[in-house]
Amino acid sequence: MNTPLLWILIPLFISGFFLFIMNHQRILKWTGTIISLNLAALAAFLPINKVFNYLFWELKVSDEMLIFGRRFVLSEADRPIVVLLFLLCTFWFFILDPKTVPIQVIPLGLAGTVLILTAYAVEPIFYGALFFAFLALIFVVLLSPPGQVPTQGVLRFLIFQILGMLFILFAAWLASWIDINTGDQLLLVRSLVILALGFSFLLAIFPFISWIPMITEKNHPFLTGFVLNIYLLGVFIFGLRFITEAGWFGKNINIQQPMQIAGAMMIGFGGSLALVSKHLGRMMAAVIISEIGRSLLAISLFSLGFPLFFALFVVQALALGVWSLSLSHLRQVMSSFSYDSAAGAARQWPIISSGILVGYFTLAGLPLLAGFPLYWALGSNLRSYPLWINAMYILGALELIIGGVRILAALTRNSGEERVLIIGNPFYRSLILAVNVFLVLLGLFPQIVMRAAQSITKIFLGS
Amino acid sequence: MSLFQSLSVTVLFLCAVGILRVKNWRWMTGLLTLQYICVLSLVSISWPVEIAVVKLVAGWMATAVLFLTYANIPESTADTKNELSLPGIFFKGFAALLIGISVYSLVPDALRWFLGATSQQTLGGLLLLGLGLLQLGLSREVIRIIIGVLTVISGFEILYATLEASVLMTGLLAILNIGIAFVGAYLLLTSYLEETS
Repeated sequence: MNTPLLWILIPLFISGFFLFIMNHQRILKWTGTIISLNLAALAAFLPINKVFNYLFWELKVSDEMLIFGRRFVLSEADRPIVVLLFLLCTFWFFILDPKTVPIQVIPLGLAGTVLILTAYAVEPIFYGALFFAFLALIFVVLLSPPGQVPTQGVLRFLIFQILGMLFILFAAWLASWIDINTGDQLLLVRSLVILALGFSFLLAIFPFISWIPMITEKNHPFLTGFVLNIYLLGVFIFGLRFITEAGWFGKNINIQQPMQIAGAMMIGFGGSLALVSKHLGRMMAAVIISEIGRSLLAISLFSLGFPLFFALFVVQALALGVWSLSLSHLRQVMSSFSYDSAAGAARQWPIISSGILVGYFTLAGLPLLAGFPLYWALGSNLRSYPLWINAMYILGALELIIGGVRILAALTRNSGEERVLIIGNPFYRSLILAVNVFLVLLGLFPQIVMRAAQSITKIFLGS
Repeated sequence: MSLFQSLSVTVLFLCAVGILRVKNWRWMTGLLTLQYICVLSLVSISWPVEIAVVKLVAGWMATAVLFLTYANIPESTADTKNELSLPGIFFKGFAALLIGISVYSLVPDALRWFLGATSQQTLGGLLLLGLGLLQLGLSREVIRIIIGVLTVISGFEILYATLEASVLMTGLLAILNIGIAFVGAYLLLTSYLEETS
């Protein structure tokens, strides 16, 4: 028995099995949720590389598996990543309403999560780029449910992910020469530039940004929220592994500065998009783009910023989850998410609309909500950075808040229809309210999520 | 041997340009099939033929998946929607020619990056990368985008074969090619499938 078998091969087999029971939507939803939760619990408590007794057997779970001479390792230090990924999966599966969301999110979502772990576990790490290409294929299928024409955003997503993979593979090959010719600065710079280009494709960093607004505008909101949350987390942790494991990084070349510039640019673009958009889907793109920028800035702080990075993703999952769930319910009664179509929605569907507003304002960084303390802490740590980065950070946050006020204005506009209408199952309406309350509580007590994020960082960095 | 390699590169270029310009999907998949034979001949310079043939098999399987899918689409009797006017044909041909000339002039520099590669391999790989990117940049149709992605990967595979010969990498790239074709098939068919939610 080994950890890659437990957290990669077995869940992959299970996700394959799920494809055969897709007609039983409720069973699939709850089975997927429980299995993800069990995998997370197993990752949290299972002793690795230690002998332990289970019933009548004496077991030892090793942390590596060999396939065609390549090692797949999920060790003690990777435990928090495994727990985090499966917990996010559990959360998304738990909140999905099978009546409003294509059910293939369960098998394909689980398979996607497993592929992220595979990319993270493989040694040498650059092989992971190939698994991200497979992940992109799975998410392309997920984002194009049966009966709908594939959108241009999805096709562009596919193209950019494949190009990103090719650049990373080539950069990794170039980097392998650096070990031999130590001190070759030109080669190091070349490989870093190509690697940065590869990750720019994967993370939708400017100018490869266009697929995010295209997808959020045209595709199913729940699927979009899930894919953006899980996929971006996966790429970031893959990138973190590159930074922490590749010895030739960070020694001679300053990688902080490009991250700062990219982060500030993304925050600027996100803010600008929020200012000009008149579509609830595109507003999701605005906050996601800003979140990518914030994550880049958090990672650029290295060990100081890693807890913030993990905390950002936990809050992002909650906020994006409640927002996506609300939008997928609203989708039943609206042909489009443009502000004109959504006018007056808060008067007719107050609970559903509250999910949209709380989810958005959390990610925009409105005080008293869960995002604010984290963005405040991140901003405070940026004081040593150039003034223009700090200015961009504040400006981006203000633009997002102004964008949120425009959403509020659109949703509460008098459209002539004053009746309060009920859509969605009471369970999901209660769930929206519960997550809203939880986001407010996390805003009041941010230490809960920060403590968890610090523990994750501590184990992740192996200290 | 060198003449054969040069011939492969020429056929490769003609196939990639042909894919860019034809609007009949049978011609498109036919040219893709021929393109994979040229990829095999260039990869086999660096690898033993018995391993290099994996590229051909995977490529042909991918092409077969696309061909069979297109053949079973209800509207597939019609050609791809890319109605090419005379200026369109001229523009694409001219763009392809520009890429060909640029790549040809870049080969001496590129050879410094790909130390184990012959000039034909470098030229062939870069041509496919360039023309594949041109295809991706100019197309909005699923079939053309999938063929564009497959072309870019083929170009990369020719160059990467001169750098690394790992069995796992070869296998994964082959699976990726077939996977892309299957995803392409799904995307071509998805609008005809029954809606789930």
